[in-house]
Amino acid sequence: MPKYSSADILGLAPALVLIVGALTLLLLEVFQESEKRGYQAWFTAIVAAIASLVALPMLDGEAHRILLTQDGLFFAVADRFGGAMAIVVAAGLALSALTAGAFLGARKAERGEFYALAMFAASGMVLLAQATDLLMIFVALEIMSISTYALAAYLRRGMRTTEAAFKYFILGAFSTALYIYGVALVYGATGGQTGLQQVAEAASEGSLLLMAGVAFVAAGFFFKVAAAPFHMWTPDVYEGAPTPVTAFMAAGVKAAAFAALFRVFTVAFGSEDVALHGWMNVVVVLAILTMVVGNLLAIPQRSVKRLLAYSSIAHAGYLMAAIAAAANPEVRAAAGEGLLYYLATYTFAGIGAFAVVAALERQGAEGPLMWDLDRFAGLARVRPALAMAMGLFLLSLAGIPPTAGFMGKLLIFRAAVDAKLYGLVIFGVLTSLVGVYYYLRVVVYMYMREREPSVGELPAPRLAMGVALALAAIGTLILGIVPGFFGEIARASTLALGG
Amino acid sequence: MTEAMLFYPMALVAIGGALGMIASRNPVHGAMYLVLSFFGIASVYVLLAAELIAALQIIVYAGAIMVLFVFVIMLLNLNEDDLERPRLTPGTIFGGAAALAFWMISFMVFSDLPDQTMPTELPEGFGQVASVGRLIFGPFIVPFESTSILLLVAMVGAIVVAKPRI
Repeated sequence: MPKYSSADILGLAPALVLIVGALTLLLLEVFQESEKRGYQAWFTAIVAAIASLVALPMLDGEAHRILLTQDGLFFAVADRFGGAMAIVVAAGLALSALTAGAFLGARKAERGEFYALAMFAASGMVLLAQATDLLMIFVALEIMSISTYALAAYLRRGMRTTEAAFKYFILGAFSTALYIYGVALVYGATGGQTGLQQVAEAASEGSLLLMAGVAFVAAGFFFKVAAAPFHMWTPDVYEGAPTPVTAFMAAGVKAAAFAALFRVFTVAFGSEDVALHGWMNVVVVLAILTMVVGNLLAIPQRSVKRLLAYSSIAHAGYLMAAIAAAANPEVRAAAGEGLLYYLATYTFAGIGAFAVVAALERQGAEGPLMWDLDRFAGLARVRPALAMAMGLFLLSLAGIPPTAGFMGKLLIFRAAVDAKLYGLVIFGVLTSLVGVYYYLRVVVYMYMREREPSVGELPAPRLAMGVALALAAIGTLILGIVPGFFGEIARASTLALGG
Repeated sequence: MTEAMLFYPMALVAIGGALGMIASRNPVHGAMYLVLSFFGIASVYVLLAAELIAALQIIVYAGAIMVLFVFVIMLLNLNEDDLERPRLTPGTIFGGAAALAFWMISFMVFSDLPDQTMPTELPEGFGQVASVGRLIFGPFIVPFESTSILLLVAMVGAIVVAKPRI
């Protein structure tokens, strides 16, 4: 029997706060008159802020193994990595919730369930980043995924949204099945172990069975993070889902899945035989493929939302580069620092960019015209602040200094160079240059084109959207100008990654 | 030896049921074949001394989930014309080839199994309700309680999806 202590509760506190917040919102909904809504977005943002506050103690001090039994079994750990990820996830939740507040408010679709599901999803993400057992990772992955399936199906207006929700559900369920099959193979190869540390002890050499398990576990994760060739669903789903949900999926789901992938691959499958001579080469090839596919397919897009969807695939490629570099035990800490930093920058810039798309989205229309480039033409004249924020986010996504995206790319490429993966770095830099073209095209439209009256009126500005955009812009700037602020946390957290 | 004599017929039932399910054109027949397959798998669980899982397999899968499947099939009320005729398209050929390749790789992987010393004597009460319950509420409490959140999320999500357009 495990001994319970207050440290166990503190270690799970961020997830518990999010769950309690979601339950409170669900209960409050019963007593609400349908016209008096609109507080939920702010409530969610406050819960997210509390969750990140209670995650702060995890950032310093020893890693605590939650509910450790005498047999050395434990399913989650409260360490710096988990704490840092909890803060990133909470930031993503707050930004998406505020965006959703404005977006749903304008469409008269404010319901408590939406925000409750978002908070449940965030609690799954936090647990995913803290989980240290393949079984616990499965449960956390499912909490996150099932909430996002429902969120993607929330605003079903038109065929495309329904298609997107259905596609996401079927392929997501399929990817989880792949993951759990891989876990079963690992369980067999290690003589009945699912704890990451126990797996590492039992599987220092890569047998065929173990490598098959690693391949399936990896495939399950690659589906979730939309890495090529598992990316086919991404553009349709990201385009069809309600824009705030897309932002949350692109930043939150990706961040949590990458955090778990990093922990699994470095702790459980991190031995030299399994990593350096095993999965590293595969991950390098997939990383290059993802960067190339994401960036090249983004070029011809006229729908800005679809463009950002392809760009999110490209960003998954850069994050995969960090995973590949982490195969080398000597650069593992540097690669983890790059990964965490990149995830933080993408959370602010990615959600920010999707939020601007949400702010401009045409109501009542269907199809790509809702987010056509022409809707951005001449934006700098009509809404200078909005155009400026979008410009900042796009520069960060393109990786141009002094924005956050530049620091993230720098850290990852430096780790890859240290790991002697020069080909990967060359492809990374070249595809980033391609990225600059399509990001700057949107900026050119905003600042150098005249506004055409045919594109319709812009929606009225809303307070929640303004706050979300301001926070995202501040985050992007701080991470770019003062990289030491979060960099210290990121470095310390991956140096001692609890298993 | 007796184990092998029991195992092969049961495995045959499980695999035969699965094959019958994908081969039958009538969805109700397919569902019934699936039940057969579930029973085969449940008896394999019994052979592995996992009686609780065997019982759950029957109650939850062959019972509850299958009833749901049959309900959905009956609600859809498919006519003979609605059913797709099996045809040889590039997609099905590729899918079949992929499945065959997967089967061959699995064969390679599983014939390479490392020799493991399995415990010959099972611990007292292995695989029974009491010992599984003690595990669930003991060391496995964190994933178990997380599963309750998972079920709640699935319920809320299903209600959100089932609602008429918001």
